[in-house]
Amino acid sequence: MGDLALNIAASGLDAQQTAMDTISENLTNANTAGYVSESAQLTANPGGDLLGVGDGVRVVAVTQNADNLLATNALQSQGVLAQTTALQQILQGAQAVFPEPGSAGISADLSSFWQSWDAISQDPSNAAPRTEVVDQAENLVSDFQQAAGQLNNLQDNAQAQVTQSVTEANTELAQVANLNQKITTTEGSGAPANSLIDQRNQILGQLANNIGAVGVVQPDGTLNVDVGGVTLVQGSWSDTITTTGGAGDMSLVAQASGVTIPTSAGSVAGQLAAVNQYLPGYQSQLDEAADDLASTVNTQLAAGYTATGTSGAGLPLFQGTGAAGLSVNASIVANPELIAASSTGALPDATNNGANAQAMAELFNVTGGPDEQYQSLIQNLGSQVQAVNNQVQAQTSVANAATENLQSIEGVNTNDQMVQMLTYQQAFQASAKLVSTVDTMMQALIQAS
Amino acid sequence: MTDVMGSGAISYTPTVIADQLISELNSDATSQATLEQQLSSGDMINQPSDNPAGTADLLQLNAALARTQQYAANATDGSGWLSLGNSTMNQIMSALQQAQQTVLSVTGASLASEPGELQGLAAQMSSIRSELINLANTTYGGQAIFAGTGNVSQAYDQNGNYVGGGSAPTRTVAPGVQVAVGTTGDEIFGSGSTGLLGSTGVLAQIVADLQTGTPASLAQVQGADAQALSSAVAQVSGQAAQMGADYQRMQAFAEQATNTEQVLQGQVSGIDSTNVAQVSTELTEAQNTYQSALWATSQLSQASLVQFLA
Repeated sequence: MGDLALNIAASGLDAQQTAMDTISENLTNANTAGYVSESAQLTANPGGDLLGVGDGVRVVAVTQNADNLLATNALQSQGVLAQTTALQQILQGAQAVFPEPGSAGISADLSSFWQSWDAISQDPSNAAPRTEVVDQAENLVSDFQQAAGQLNNLQDNAQAQVTQSVTEANTELAQVANLNQKITTTEGSGAPANSLIDQRNQILGQLANNIGAVGVVQPDGTLNVDVGGVTLVQGSWSDTITTTGGAGDMSLVAQASGVTIPTSAGSVAGQLAAVNQYLPGYQSQLDEAADDLASTVNTQLAAGYTATGTSGAGLPLFQGTGAAGLSVNASIVANPELIAASSTGALPDATNNGANAQAMAELFNVTGGPDEQYQSLIQNLGSQVQAVNNQVQAQTSVANAATENLQSIEGVNTNDQMVQMLTYQQAFQASAKLVSTVDTMMQALIQAS
Repeated sequence: MTDVMGSGAISYTPTVIADQLISELNSDATSQATLEQQLSSGDMINQPSDNPAGTADLLQLNAALARTQQYAANATDGSGWLSLGNSTMNQIMSALQQAQQTVLSVTGASLASEPGELQGLAAQMSSIRSELINLANTTYGGQAIFAGTGNVSQAYDQNGNYVGGGSAPTRTVAPGVQVAVGTTGDEIFGSGSTGLLGSTGVLAQIVADLQTGTPASLAQVQGADAQALSSAVAQVSGQAAQMGADYQRMQAFAEQATNTEQVLQGQVSGIDSTNVAQVSTELTEAQNTYQSALWATSQLSQASLVQFLA
């Protein structure tokens, strides 16, 4: 009798202690990223004697409280959040290029430029207002060039960010493949690989943030990593991502297969959208505004004449194309008399005539003019920044909710663990009490005999 | 704060609670910063994304506002020209009236016997003519106001020939509206040698007739010359009236531009100005929320079963 009871009590002491170990592990890892809480699975040992009393308790396994569905959900929503956040950062940078509405923006400078033409018409033979027009024109040219240059810098930075993200992702892909191999080996030897799996989950989280990777656990315990349907990790094999193209056509390619990787989540997706779509769009709208400025002003000048009756057709104020290529005609800078301010070439009426300059000032809101084009650029940019701001806000709630759901299953709830700790403690004490009781019983038997 | 108590299904681990608090603190701080920027700048729109459509409207309104201010400046400049033009026309009228007086003083043939007096009258007429040529060359800021667009500094040469252009300059005072700042000298005095100021014009003719001093030439002064002079005076006074009307018109446009400017200013502040009462109330609310979130964060470490287990 005593033998069996002591054995059962001993198995209880063992099992409760193992369970207590898991509590301890959980509590110490409560703040570890990617840690999945564990619990000891206890089971009754099959019967040891003829009456079927049983043979105590044992720990079958220490399992992770993983929920793959919630984990995938959380990863995907984190990936989309990373995408919108990356795009938001770049678009806000683009918005900062244009200090509108304000007195320092291109819009205000366009206004001053148009108004300066009326000053010529008030005193056509005076050099001062002509020089003022040239100054305003040079001011606009430098505005356009600066904005174009800053957009260009943003484009370069965004491309560098993509390259950076890809470099990180390549390291992480190799790490996942490496861990897959270790997990197979560890589990093959019969030992649990929980901590390796935690580590792999943590890297998968980084991959989801980076390139929107999705992980699929295979029956053999390894993890396949896909991005946009292209498999990049399978078992212990991993592929390398390379980038190709530039502004407007940058994309990711899987090196082994040469397949283009579609990106729909992760910060790379946001950066690529900026590189291929948003930034080239702003740049081309800015170029159009600059071209509209040149053509509007030059066309009006071509209809005019200088004070000596020379046609303005060969005397454009602006030269070059695009915001970066815009410049002020050097011969007009050298001699502002060449501004074709007169509406007639007939002498003497052209001598002190500013009617063409007067007509120029009225072009400030002409349909298809630079002001209209620039305003539409600003409205477009503002709407897109506003939209991405809203997306980030909404996606933050989605991602937070998904993480909360996952944490409530996989995370460590301190109160929960405390209650379980008390339970195991009491069970341990009960088993210990049993040992001493059996001992007392045996003593009584020995003394009586 | 999002509703933490509402969804009972979730078990709140300390990590979840900490993450939620961090996220709330961040979003509260952001909304507080936005409201503070609106208050400190006085503008509701500080960047295009604050209100994209409003920003586009604002850019258009600001451009229209700058243009309207330029219309007002143009009208003020035009008023300056016309005001000088009007006072010059008054001086021209009084010089011409003086000439008419002189012609009237040549009564009867008796003067024919007093050549000294006739020479005096001729000299007087001659100086009136040069005075008129001077007045016709009046300049505003270095520009001859009766020379049209054809000459910067003078409308008539010393011989009284018109050397200006065929049209007067204009000022843009409203969208698509140009008002002429005065008129050209040839409209007032005529041009060439036969014009009022010309070498064979009425004034020169009167001088010549007075110098001739014969009864026939004096009769010429009283007759044909006096008639020609009064028709020239009628022409000048018609132009003076026209210029007075232009001045009134220019003043009216200046006033209109100022009114438009005020309307546009009103629209700009309607879109862009911070409603201080509303925004400060919102800011107070945001500060309260932020403080609650901070308080909740400070309580984070206290609530756990750990504290109650000896």
